[in-house]
Amino acid sequence: MTVPHQFQQSESAEALALGTGPIPAGPYYLDDYFDLEREAIFRRSWLNIGHVCELPEPGSFIVREFDFANASILITRDKDDLIRAFHNVCTHRGTQLVSEPSGKRSSFTCRYHAWSFGNTGELRGAADFERFYVEKKDLGLTKVAVDVCAGLIFVNLDPSPKQTLREYLGVLAGQLEVQPVASATTFSEYVYEIDANWKLTYDNFQENYHLRFIHPRSGGGGAVGPDNPFGYPERYGFYGAHRTQKIWTNPAPVLSATQKLAFGKLVPALMQRGMMNTEHARDYYALFPNFFLIGTPTQHFTHYVIPINARKSRGVIRIYWVGDDMNASERFGREFSMAMARDVHSEDRAVIEAGQRGLNSGALKHIHFQSQEVLLRHLMHNVDAKVQAYKAEKDATEKRQ
Amino acid sequence: MSDINTSLPVGFEALSPFVEFWAADTAAKRAQCRDSSDEADRAAFYSAMNALISDALTYLDAKPLSEFDDSDQRLMQLALSFAHVSMAVELQREEEPRHALNRPYMRITRAPSDRAAEQ
Repeated sequence: MTVPHQFQQSESAEALALGTGPIPAGPYYLDDYFDLEREAIFRRSWLNIGHVCELPEPGSFIVREFDFANASILITRDKDDLIRAFHNVCTHRGTQLVSEPSGKRSSFTCRYHAWSFGNTGELRGAADFERFYVEKKDLGLTKVAVDVCAGLIFVNLDPSPKQTLREYLGVLAGQLEVQPVASATTFSEYVYEIDANWKLTYDNFQENYHLRFIHPRSGGGGAVGPDNPFGYPERYGFYGAHRTQKIWTNPAPVLSATQKLAFGKLVPALMQRGMMNTEHARDYYALFPNFFLIGTPTQHFTHYVIPINARKSRGVIRIYWVGDDMNASERFGREFSMAMARDVHSEDRAVIEAGQRGLNSGALKHIHFQSQEVLLRHLMHNVDAKVQAYKAEKDATEKRQ
Repeated sequence: MSDINTSLPVGFEALSPFVEFWAADTAAKRAQCRDSSDEADRAAFYSAMNALISDALTYLDAKPLSEFDDSDQRLMQLALSFAHVSMAVELQREEEPRHALNRPYMRITRAPSDRAAEQ
C-alpha cells in the first residue's frame, strides 16, 4: 500500500487526473516518437532562446541554431528597438547569411552573390537585380514569430502560431515578470551536450527525489533535510501544459565555509539593487516544453533542454544577474554561485546518460513515477496529448487528400 | 625562472607563488585550473587563500573594478579561482578526482567576470 509521507501534500484534482499508472518507456528513446514530437511540439511551441540583454542596442543581433529543425535563427534589434527574428537564410539560393553567433550590424550581406538585407529583414540591394524575374519587396528574409516575456526571448517556428506568447504563458506571464530575470542585464552561462532524450534530461530537474543520492556533497543541503529527506516540495501547480512547484527549504542547511562567505558577499549588493525579495526564492516555473526558471535571488537560473535527436540533447543553463559587477565581493559571489551550480549539474549529466543507455536497450516497457514525480508525469501527459492530436490532424489531412 | 609578473598588492605577498598557476582571466580558464590541479596544489592554494580571502575582498572592494591595476586584477583572479577550488576542498573532498571527469562537459561560455578579460 502507498503510505503518504508527512511532507506529501494531498493530491490536487489536476494531479489526480493524471493517474498513477506506469508510463510507456518508448517515448524516451524511439526515433518514431521523436519525429512526432518535433512536429507536434518543437515546431509549434514558444521556445526560449535568449534574453533581451544579449541585444543591448539597435543593431545588436544573435544567431541560434535549432538542430532538430535544421534551422538557424537570426534575431535582431532594429533602430526602433523592435526585436525581430528571421530564418538565417539568404532568399536568393538559401545560403546561410550570418556566420557569427552575435554582433552588431544594421545590415547583413550574403557572401555568395552579395545580396544585402537590413536588420528589419528587407532586401536592400542585389547586384544586377534587373535580370531577376521577381521584385525586391517579395524577397525579405523569412520571418519567424518572436516575442518577449520577462526579458526572455521566445521564438515559435510555426509560421502562424495558434497562440501569442502571452496567451501561451497565461497567468504565469505576470509571475515571471516580477522575477529578477525581467530586469537582468548579464548572465553566467554553461552549456552541455548529453546522450539522452530531452524529456529524460529535463525530468531530472523536475524532481528532488534524486538529490540525496546524486548530490550528497554539492547541493543536497537546501531542499532536503532530516525532516524531509526526499525533498518533497511544499506545493505543485498546474497551468495547462506548464507547471510549478515551491521547493521546500531546509531550515538548517549545512553550508560550507565558502558557501556562507560567498552568498554573504552577494547579499549586500542584491539588497542595494532591491533584488533580495525572497518571496519567489523557492518558486520553480516549468514552461512547456523544455524550459524552467528558479526564483532564488543568489542563484537565479534558467535551464532549457533542446533536442538534437531522440537520444541526444543540448542543455543551456544561465544564471541571470541584474547590473554589472558592483564590486569585487559581488564578482566573487557571482563566480561562486556559478561554480556551485555547475558542480551540481555535472553530477546530473552522468547519471542521466546512464539512464538513457538503460532505456535504449528496450529492457523496460514501462517506467514508474512516484508521487513526487508528478511533474514528470504531467510533462509526459502533455507531450503525448500533443503528439496524439498531431497524429489525428495528420491522418485527417491525409484522408481529405 | 619565469618572467611572469606575480606581484600583488601590499599585504598579499604570501599569495605570489600561486599567481602563475591560478590567476586566470576567464571563468572557463579558472575552472580548468581546478580540473588540472592535483590535490597538493589545491590544498596549498586553498590554505593560503582561505587565510586572506576576507581581507582580499575588503581591500578590493575599496576600489571601483574599473580602477584595478594589474596587481589588483591578479588578486581578484586568485579570489575567483578560490571560489572554484573551495568546491573541491570543502565539498567534493576525496570525490574530487572522480568529479573532475564530469565537469568539463559543462562548458562555461560566459561569466560577468569575463568582461574584465575583454577590456
